[in-house]
Amino acid sequence: MTTTLEHKAPVIKHEGGGLARHQNFLTAMIGGIAGAFIAWAIAHHLLDQNVRTTSDAVAVLTGCGWIVGFWFGIGALNAPFAWLVGKDQTRKDQLYYAGEDQGTKRYWKYCTDHKVVGVQYIVMTMVLLGAGGILAMAIRTELIVPGNHFVNQQVYNGFIAVHGMLMILALIVAVAGPWGNFVVPIMCGAKDMAFPRLNALSLWTLVAAAGLLLTTLAVGSLTMGWVVLAPITDQAGVGMDFFALAILVFTVSTTVAGVNTICTVFTMRTKGMTLERLPIMVWGAIIAAALGLYAFPYFSLVEALQILDRTFSTSFFVGTGGGTGWLQANLFWLMGHPEVYVILIPAVAALFEISAVMARKPVFSYRTAIAGMVGLAGLSILVWAHHMFTTGWAPTLGGPFMVTTELISIPTGLFFLVLIGTLWRGNIWMKLPTVWMFGFIANFIIAGITGIYLSDIPIDNQLHGTMFVTAHFHYVFVGSVLFGAIAALAFWYPKVTGRFLDEKLGRIAFWLAFIGVQVTFMSMFVSGLRGMPRRYSSYSFIFEHTNFITTIGAYMIMAGMLVLGGAVIYCWNHGEPSGSNPWHANSLEWLVSTPPPLENFDVLPVITEDPYNFGKELVRS
Amino acid sequence: MTSSNENKKSLKSFYVLWAILTVFGVVVSLYAPGYLMPKSMSSSMHLSILTMVVFSVSAAPVAAGVYAATLYIMRNWAHKGDGVPAAAPAIRESAKTVVTWTLTSVILTVFLLIWGLGALAVDNSGASSNPLVVNVTGQQWVWSFQYAGPNGTKVESNDLYLPEGREVVFHITSLDVTHGFWLPQMGVQVDANEGTFTEIHTTPNKLGTFDVRCTQFCGLNHAFMVTQGHVLTPSAFTTWLNAQPARS
Ligand SMILES: [Cu+2]
Ligand SMILES: [Cu+2]
Repeated sequence: MTTTLEHKAPVIKHEGGGLARHQNFLTAMIGGIAGAFIAWAIAHHLLDQNVRTTSDAVAVLTGCGWIVGFWFGIGALNAPFAWLVGKDQTRKDQLYYAGEDQGTKRYWKYCTDHKVVGVQYIVMTMVLLGAGGILAMAIRTELIVPGNHFVNQQVYNGFIAVHGMLMILALIVAVAGPWGNFVVPIMCGAKDMAFPRLNALSLWTLVAAAGLLLTTLAVGSLTMGWVVLAPITDQAGVGMDFFALAILVFTVSTTVAGVNTICTVFTMRTKGMTLERLPIMVWGAIIAAALGLYAFPYFSLVEALQILDRTFSTSFFVGTGGGTGWLQANLFWLMGHPEVYVILIPAVAALFEISAVMARKPVFSYRTAIAGMVGLAGLSILVWAHHMFTTGWAPTLGGPFMVTTELISIPTGLFFLVLIGTLWRGNIWMKLPTVWMFGFIANFIIAGITGIYLSDIPIDNQLHGTMFVTAHFHYVFVGSVLFGAIAALAFWYPKVTGRFLDEKLGRIAFWLAFIGVQVTFMSMFVSGLRGMPRRYSSYSFIFEHTNFITTIGAYMIMAGMLVLGGAVIYCWNHGEPSGSNPWHANSLEWLVSTPPPLENFDVLPVITEDPYNFGKELVRS
Repeated sequence: MTSSNENKKSLKSFYVLWAILTVFGVVVSLYAPGYLMPKSMSSSMHLSILTMVVFSVSAAPVAAGVYAATLYIMRNWAHKGDGVPAAAPAIRESAKTVVTWTLTSVILTVFLLIWGLGALAVDNSGASSNPLVVNVTGQQWVWSFQYAGPNGTKVESNDLYLPEGREVVFHITSLDVTHGFWLPQMGVQVDANEGTFTEIHTTPNKLGTFDVRCTQFCGLNHAFMVTQGHVLTPSAFTTWLNAQPARS
C-alpha cells in the first residue's frame, strides 16, 4: 500500500479573482477587529451616555460588528454578493473555493470542501477543549485546599461560566463537526455536502463565536454559571453581552450545519444506498442534527430576550417589570436537555460503527440501534423540567416530569444492548479506538445510573445543586462523550492523515484519562453526597480531603489530554503510514484513497448491501 | 474469507463474575449512602437516604451485568496476534435477546417509578393542622428567618431555630437574585426567588445543630452564604422565641 500525503502536492498559484483570492483567517481577524471598532465608534458616539443600558448596547453592537466584519474578511459574503449583482460563480470559482491545488493554505480559508471543513472542526474542537481545559485546571487549582486564593473570587466565577460554555460548545461539535463533515458525506456516496458554502459558513461562524466567547474572559465581569440564570445576569457587566451574543451566533452555526447534514443524507445518497444500508454513524448524525434543529432555537431565543432585557430594558426575565426568571429557566432547559443528546448521540453512533468494524461483526440489531437513538431524542424534549425540580416552579408537574425522565433509561439501555451485542462473540481487534470504546462503556454506566438518582425528586431535593450533579454530568461529558469522541478520532484519523494515531502514546493517554476520570469524579460524588454545593469558590474543612483528591485526578486527566494532543500533532506528519483502509472496513469512506480526492469519487459507486459483511471484503480500486 | 470460528464460549465464568460484582454492589449500596450523606435529622432526609439505597440496590445487578459482560468479552474475544482478525459470526438479530433486555429495563424502570412516586407522595402528604411557619429571606449573602413571636410580634434571627417533632413550613423569598435554600441534614431544598414565595416543609426529628447552605449560584460570596440551624426541644424553643426582641 502506498500513501500519498496531501501536503506534498504542488501548490499552484491561481491567476485572477482579485482580492477575494487572498482571503483567509488573517483577513477575517482584521475584518472582525475593524468591524468591531467601526461598530463601537458609531455606537459610542451616537448613543446617549446617560442611559443605564448604553454600555450593554455598545457591547452588543461591537460584537455584531465583529461577526459581520469576520464574515466579510473570510469571504463568506462573496458568493451571495456576486449572485446579487448577477454574477454567478463559474465552475472554476467553485473549484477554487473548494480549495483545489492550494495545499495546506486551504485550511485557513473559507473552503467549501467538506473534508477541509472536517479537519478545521478537528482543530477547532481541540482549541476549544484546550481553552476549557486550562480553565478547568485553574478551577481545580483554586479548590485544591480550602480558602485558597490562587485566583480572586470574581475571576473564579467568570472561569466557571466560560469553562462550562466552552466545553459545551466543544462537545456539541466534537463528533458531529469533524466526522459529520469529513466522513458522513463519503459514507453516503456523495461528492460533497448538499450546501458546501453553508458548510464553510457553519465552521467560520463557530470560529467567530468562539472568539467572542473568549473575549468575555478579558472583559471579565461574568457573575454566573454557564446557565446564566436571570436575574443574577442583571449584575453582570458587558462580558455578559458578549457571552449571550456568542451563544446566539453559535446557534446560527449549528442550525446551518444541522440543515446541511440532513439535506445531504436525504438528497445526496448514491445509487443503491437505501436508508437501511447506511452506516449507523450516518443515522446518528442526522438524528442529532434533527434534535439540534428542535432544541437550539430555544437557545437563540433565550439569549435574544436576555440581550433585549439588557439593552432595551425589556423585562422578559426581570421580576420587577413583570417577567420572571422561571421563564428563562424553562427556555434554557427546553434547549439544555435535548442538547445533552445532541452531544451524546453522534458519539454513541460512532461507537456503534467502531464496535462493528473492530469486532468484525455487523452492528447487532441495527434497527434497535436506530430506535434507541430516535427514542432518546424524542423523550429528551419532554424532560426539561427535571432541571427545575427545586426551583419552586410548578411543584405539581414534578411527578409527570419524573416519569418522562426515568423512561429515558429504556432507550439508553438499548445503547448498551447494541454495543455489547455487537462485541459479543466477536474477534475483537484491540486497537486504540477499541480501548477508548471500552472506557466509554465503563464510564457511561456510572453516568446513567447517577442520572437516575437525580431524576427522582426525593433524592433530587437533597442532591440538586451539589457537587453530585457536577460529578454526574462530568461522567456524561468527560467519561462518556469525550471518550467516544477520542475513539472516533483514533478510528478515522488514518483516513484524514494517512497515518495511525500512535498506539503507545494513545494508550498512555487512555490510562491517565481513565484513572483520572474515576479519581476526579468519584471523589466529587463524595463531596456532593457529604453536602458540598456546586460553584463554590471556597469550602469548609469537612470537604478538604475529597477536594484534594479531585484536583489530583483532574491533573491526571489534563496530563492524558496533553499526551493525546501531542500525539495528534506529532503523528499528523510522522505517524506510522496506514494505507487507505487500515481497519479493513467496508463503508465507502475506507474504499476511497487516502486522503480522499476532491469530490471523493470519480465514478459514484453503486451499493448492493450494507457495510457490515466482513466475511467477504469488498475490494475496489 | 469466511469464518469457521463460531466463538461460542461457556457462560459459567460470566455468571460467576456477574454474581460476585452484584454482591459487591449490593453491599456498597446498602451502606454507602448512610455513611456518606449527612446524618439524617428529619423524615424527609430519612426518605431521601432510603431511596438512594433502594435505587442503588436495584442498579447494582445492572451495572454488575454490564461490567461482567465487558470483562468477559475482553477475556474471551480479544483478538490475539498481529494480523487482521477474521470475520466473526454475522449475528444480526436476536429477537429473544432484544425482547428480554427491553422487558427487563421496562420492569426495572416501572419499579423505580412506583417507588419514586410513592416516596414523593409520602413527602408531600402529612401537612399537620398546626405547623410552625418560618419566613425565610435570602439576600446577597445572608439568610434571615422570621417567626411569629408572642402577642402578634415578629421575631427575626440569622440562625434557624426549630422545635423537635413539629412540622415546619418555610415560606421562602429573596430580596435580590435567586438563592437556593438547602438544609443538608433535612433533605429539603428550594430556590428563593425575588418577588414570589416558594414553600417546603419538613419535620425535624432529632435534637442538634444542622447546616443551612445556598445551592443556587448567587454571585461573589455564594460559597459563604451559610448559617447554622438548631433543633431544640419544644419547651426550649418556646423559651428561645420568647426571649427574642420583638420587631414591628
Ligand atoms: Cu437534563
Ligand atoms: Cu448562592
